[in-house]
Amino acid sequence: MSTTLERPALATPRKVAPAKDSRKLIRSQVRAGWVLLSPALLHSGIFIVIPVVAVLVLSLTDYSFGDTWAWVGFGNYSDLFRDVDFQASLWHTVLYALVVIPISMAISLAVAIGLNQKIKGLGFFRTAFYIPTVTATVAVATIWLWIYNPGSGLANGFLSLFGFAPNRWLADPATALPSLMVVGIWQGLGTKIIIYLAALQGVSRDLLESAELDGANRWQKFLNVTWPAIGPVQFFVLITSIVGTFQVFDLVYVMTQGGPGSETRVLVMDIYQNAFQDLKLGYASAETVIMMVVIALFIGVGRLIQKADAND
Amino acid sequence: MTSATLPAVRTGKPSSIRVGRILLYVVLTVGAILMITPFVWMLLSAFKSDLEIAKFGWLPGELRWHNFVEAMRTAPFLRYFRNSLFIAVGETAFTLAVCTTAGYALAKLPLRGSKTLLNYFILLLLVPFQIILVPLFLIVKSIPLFGGNNILGQGGIGWLNSWWGLIIPLGAAPLFTFLARQFYVTVPNELAQAARVDGLGEFGIFWRIMTPLIKPALITICVFQIEAAWNGFLWPLMITTSDSMRPLQLGLAIFSQNSAEIQWPYLMAGTALATLPMIVLFVFAQKRFVEGMANVGIKG
Repeated sequence: MSTTLERPALATPRKVAPAKDSRKLIRSQVRAGWVLLSPALLHSGIFIVIPVVAVLVLSLTDYSFGDTWAWVGFGNYSDLFRDVDFQASLWHTVLYALVVIPISMAISLAVAIGLNQKIKGLGFFRTAFYIPTVTATVAVATIWLWIYNPGSGLANGFLSLFGFAPNRWLADPATALPSLMVVGIWQGLGTKIIIYLAALQGVSRDLLESAELDGANRWQKFLNVTWPAIGPVQFFVLITSIVGTFQVFDLVYVMTQGGPGSETRVLVMDIYQNAFQDLKLGYASAETVIMMVVIALFIGVGRLIQKADAND
Repeated sequence: MTSATLPAVRTGKPSSIRVGRILLYVVLTVGAILMITPFVWMLLSAFKSDLEIAKFGWLPGELRWHNFVEAMRTAPFLRYFRNSLFIAVGETAFTLAVCTTAGYALAKLPLRGSKTLLNYFILLLLVPFQIILVPLFLIVKSIPLFGGNNILGQGGIGWLNSWWGLIIPLGAAPLFTFLARQFYVTVPNELAQAARVDGLGEFGIFWRIMTPLIKPALITICVFQIEAAWNGFLWPLMITTSDSMRPLQLGLAIFSQNSAEIQWPYLMAGTALATLPMIVLFVFAQKRFVEGMANVGIKG
C-alpha cells in the first residue's frame, strides 16, 4: 500500500510561469482545488469520520433510540464479556477468518502462478474464477443453500456418486460452519487471483533470468525472486481478506441465520441483532469497537509475519 | 498443487514439459468447472418442475420458461430489479461527480497539505462499513428537513426509507477518490499549463482537458460502483421498511427466508435474474475490472 505514498507529490506545478500574474494563477488554482475537493471532504466527514467518532462515544452509553440515555462507562464492555452470544460470535468469526484467509490465499496464488505460464485461454479461466466474485453474496448464498439442500441438492448428489451417505450440511452443527467456509473461500478467489496475477506479471524478468543463469531451479527462483517481489501485494491481499472475512454477514443471514443453535453466529450478525432488533445501540457500538480492535490485532500480526518473512 | 502448476519453461526434458503442461491445464480446468458449476446448476434448476426438483438430477425435462413468469408473480422481482438499477445508476453518477473532482484536486492542484489530505482518504479507505453501521443509521435518521425532521434533525425519519438514504451515504467511497487521483497523476502537467496559457479557467481544464484523458479510469470506477451498488444488502436491509424501495438482493433474501417449503425453481429463477446482469457486465467489461483490481492492488 505504500508505493504511491512515497512518490513525490505532483501537487505543485513543476514550471512556475515566469510572468507577474503567476501568483494570481496559483491562487485561482488553489481556490478551484478547494471547491473541487469540498464535496468529498464534506461527504466523508459526515458519513465516515463522524460515525467513527460516534461509535466510540455511543459504546459508553446505554442509548436505545429513546429520549433518555445515560453514560455507563465501560459497562457495555464488561457485559459483553459475559454474553454467551457475543462469545460464540467472536469465536466463530475468528475461526472463519483463520480458516478462510490462508486457504483462499494459497489457492489463489497457486492458480495465479498457473495462469501466469503463458497458457492458452487465459481470458476464459480468468472469467471463470472471477464470476463468483462479481455475483452478489445474497445470490451466491441462495444458490449454495440449494446446493446444500439435504433432500435433492447437488452436494449430496455428488457424494452419492462415490457411495457416501447424504449429509445434512447446514443443519448439522458439526458441518454448518465448515460449509459456510467453503462458500466463502469459493467466492473470494477471483479478486485475489487477479491481484496476484498482476503482481506476478510485474516481477522483474531480468532478475528471474539472472537467477536462472546462476543455476537456480524453478523452486529456488520462486523462493528467492518471485516470493520477495510479491511481498507488498501479499500484505495488501492479507489486509483486504482480514477486513472482508470479519464482515461476513450476507452469507450467514441467507444460509443459516446463525443456526443451528448459534453454531454459525458471527459478529456482524450479532451486532445487527443487538442494534436493530433489540435496539441496544450503545451495546452494539461497544461490540463494533471490539471488532475494530480484533481486526487491528489481526493486521498487526500479519505485519509481523510479513516483516519476519522479509528479513529471512 | 503448486508443483504441478509450475511447469518448466526452458529447463528440463521436453517430455516432462509436456506432462507438466497437460497437468496444468487439467488442474485449471477442474478449478474453472468448480467455479461455474453452481451457476449452471442454478439455471438448470430454474427450469425444473416440482416433481423434478424433488429428486437429484441435472437436466430438466423441458425448458419451463413460465417458471420465470411465476417467480415474478410470487414476488415483485421486476420492481426489485428496477429499484436496484435506479440505485446503481444514481450511486454511480454521484460517485463520479464527487470522486473525480476530489481526485483531480488531490493530484494536480497546489493545495497546502495535499499530502495529508491524500493520507486522510487512504486512512478512510480502511474503515469497513460494518464498523460504522450503527452511528451511520442514526446520522441518516437525523438528516435535517427530510422525512419530517426539523432543522435540528429531530422528530422524523430523515433519509430512512428514501432513495437519498439508499444512494448518498454509501456513494463516493474514498477508494474511488484515491483511484481517480492515481489516474490523474499520470496525466502530464504540460497539457494543463498550455490550456492555462490559452486562457482556459481551472474548471474548464479539469472538465475539458484532463478528465477526458482518464476515461479508462472513469469506466473502471463505474464498473466497480455499479457492482457494489447492485450487490449491496446490509444497508438496504437496515434502512428500508417498504417493499416499494427494496433492491433485488434484499427481495431475494426475503423470498428465500419466508416459508418452510421454498419453491426452489422460482427461487432459482429469481436468483438468475439477480446474477446474470453482473455476469454479463463482467464479461463485457472484463478488461476494466482486471485493470481496476490491479491498480488498487499493485499501485495502491
